[in-house]
Amino acid sequence: MTTLAEGNSGIDLFLPKTYDIFWSFIILVILAVFFYKYFLPKFQKIFDERAEKIQGNIDKAAKAQKEAEEAKKKYEDQLTKARVQASKIRDDARAEASHIIADARTRAEEEAAQVSANAQKSIESQQKQALVSLKGEVGSLSVALAGKILGKQLESDAVQSDMIDSVLGDLDKDDVKA
Amino acid sequence: MTGSVGLSALAAAHGSAVLASGPSELPSIDDFLPPEILFQGTPFAMNRIVLIRVISTVFLLVVFGLTAKRAKLIPGRWQGFVEWMIDFVKYNVVYATMGELRGKRYVPVCCTIFFAALCFNLCGVIPGMNIAATATIAMPLMFALWTLTQYWRSGIRSNGGLWKYLKKEMFPAGVPWPVYILLSPIKFLEIAIIQPGALTLRLFANMVSGHLTLATALVMADWYIVQAHNAAMVPVGALWFVFGFLMTAFEIFIACLQAFIFAVLTAVYINSSYPEDE
Repeated sequence: MTTLAEGNSGIDLFLPKTYDIFWSFIILVILAVFFYKYFLPKFQKIFDERAEKIQGNIDKAAKAQKEAEEAKKKYEDQLTKARVQASKIRDDARAEASHIIADARTRAEEEAAQVSANAQKSIESQQKQALVSLKGEVGSLSVALAGKILGKQLESDAVQSDMIDSVLGDLDKDDVKA
Repeated sequence: MTGSVGLSALAAAHGSAVLASGPSELPSIDDFLPPEILFQGTPFAMNRIVLIRVISTVFLLVVFGLTAKRAKLIPGRWQGFVEWMIDFVKYNVVYATMGELRGKRYVPVCCTIFFAALCFNLCGVIPGMNIAATATIAMPLMFALWTLTQYWRSGIRSNGGLWKYLKKEMFPAGVPWPVYILLSPIKFLEIAIIQPGALTLRLFANMVSGHLTLATALVMADWYIVQAHNAAMVPVGALWFVFGFLMTAFEIFIACLQAFIFAVLTAVYINSSYPEDE
């Protein structure tokens, strides 16, 4: 074939040699097989695995977030419930307290009323007693006084008792007036 | 530090590669038609460029094979970079052209072409190789033929038969019939020859011109700084060297760009083979 001849003309550049075609073809076939059967499938596998893994991680993260949100919601619900319960307990306690106070007050008022009624009663009875005894004393006192004034014993019991009665009647009238 | 060492090694390698065919000799088309060095005269003969192609293929297989073998769910830096390149071809080349639904089955072809072309193109700036493994017409031609079979196949399958595909390509609707006399042969040539031919030539010519420019810059630098024994000419050589440095960077850019363009056009041609109304 061609050697290092000075006679190579430009057109020779564009006329492929048989061996050149042969080796170009062989090399291209080898490279094509390499890229089709090994290199690109291998990298495609890597790309797919990576995408899967990333997707898996994203899913996992999303799941974790969902779970966290659910837990948060649960706790918030519990917290709200607890707050409601607490305020209910507080309200109940307050209501009970006011109830107790009201009860106590009522009881105290009743007792006070009782005490004052009793006092009133005993005062009244003592007053009555005093009046009765006073009446007796006033009667005998006035008889004695009248006797002393009249200078003599009132003779008959009838007169005596009449007098006492009339004095007491006057006293009663005075009482009524007063 | 390592950069400058690498660069001088690169310059030396360029110089020796070119100077082997004669002192101060500029690169020529002979660089792309090197002598057979293995299995001479057989259909399995290898010249320098084929050897570079085989070595870079083995390199690609080993590096990417190990990367794939050790690929982990949580990528390291290198794996991240490889994955970024795969994603780039997948999303920015294939899916951006034809959408995910249609493009899914064409990711491997575009990936293969992109990575192979990228690796082969970059050989043009690797010290010791100094010429792209795509710098003979056969390799770009193979890529292009593969693209051709891909879009013919997808066209025939998606249009429901060879005739329907050709009818769709050659007799676009809404054109007055006399125009078909001119249009139909052109359309046929386009899908049969022009598209793969353009793919082939674009890649090949870019690699040829890249090597010529870069090698010229470094040969001139070598000539003015070392060979000419003329102190006054050293700054000129330095300028050539700076130019060579810039061209190396530019070649790296071109290597990536051409791999990208090849992959994109493959996706575009496949996509345009589908029925219009789909």
